[in-house]
Amino acid sequence: MDSAPRQSCFECQLRPDRLFCDLPTDALEAFDSIKSIARYPRGVLLFQEGQTARGIFVVCEGRIKLSVCSESGKRLTLRIANAGEVLGTSACLAAGHYEVTAEALDNAKVAVVRRKELLKFLRMHREACMQIVHLLSQDLHTAYDRVRSLGLGRTRRARVH
Amino acid sequence: MLSPYGLDIIESCLTCKMRADRIFCDLNTGALQSFEAIKYATAYPKGAVLFVEGQAPRGIFVLCKGRVKLSICATDGKTLILKIAEPGEVLGLSATVSGKPYELTAETIDPCQVNFVKREDFLRFLKDNSDACFKVAEQLSDKYNNACHEVRSLGLSHSAGEKLAKLLLEWTSRNGESVKIEPRLKLALTHEEIAQMIGTSRETVTRLFADLKKRQIVQSKGSTLVIRNKAALKALATSG
Repeated sequence: MDSAPRQSCFECQLRPDRLFCDLPTDALEAFDSIKSIARYPRGVLLFQEGQTARGIFVVCEGRIKLSVCSESGKRLTLRIANAGEVLGTSACLAAGHYEVTAEALDNAKVAVVRRKELLKFLRMHREACMQIVHLLSQDLHTAYDRVRSLGLGRTRRARVH
Repeated sequence: MLSPYGLDIIESCLTCKMRADRIFCDLNTGALQSFEAIKYATAYPKGAVLFVEGQAPRGIFVLCKGRVKLSICATDGKTLILKIAEPGEVLGLSATVSGKPYELTAETIDPCQVNFVKREDFLRFLKDNSDACFKVAEQLSDKYNNACHEVRSLGLSHSAGEKLAKLLLEWTSRNGESVKIEPRLKLALTHEEIAQMIGTSRETVTRLFADLKKRQIVQSKGSTLVIRNKAALKALATSG
């Protein structure tokens, strides 16, 4: 992972189409000042399940694979996160540690915000907080769909007598 | 003094003693006063349905007292219990915020006090209170964490025996008993409901409990389950 020089959100062409990024000017200025851009080559982990939550990752470019793992090493892919999504929010706000492992599927460009600064930012900018609320709501919807398909969609194994 | 369903209704959030321990309820005074004005304190008996999966969102239900079963249904009628909500949790939150239908069905398993807030009142409240917004983000994060946990449990656990062992251990860590050598659990759910939580049949759950008792891993004392052999239960939980 290597850092690129500071790039401003204001220069980004893709902003208006992205739920989180389409913030009002004062919030965007504040966000710009607390974020740092990082690049993750394909196959590199952004964070690992169980690690202390140190910040959020706004996906600018590329796709990220989110998965969970059992104690015995079995891995289950939750979903693929696309550009425009924000990862690690629930870890920073509630869990305290990342609940999933995030791996770059392409060469990804990510805006990283440290946890302490994120919390301050969200408390100060209600609109940004509401964007996060909407994103979390979407994430929750996807997770419930996954629960539904895993818990109810499976065909039963043949009974052993 | 008579009260509905034997509940002692907490009329005012401002004087509620349990506020400090609850993420959403611990709002600043100004926000709390606004919340007081829009909430309706209601009592429900055991077995009441607060809302149904797929229903258009009417508003949020803040659980003050009692517990609520949250479940998801398949098209063939099979039910999966996602979790048992405890006091302090805000139900119907993501649906109310997004405008999408309720994701889950909520049914009381105890007599409950619930503070209901209409959707439009709640959205207006969030617009005027950034502290409340932040608390909503915290609550949703907590729910998401839980859902991932469920996905891990359903998707990675091999057998029903493993899932049941995991569930029992999780319950002991929630009620603080896990530190004891022989943790105790008050089983609030029927075998059928436990089966719905782990995605198996009632017959399997009954058989698994009988097996655990035969092997002296657990013991029933009335409605209390005592875990006699924590190590063995832990081994069963990770055999996948």
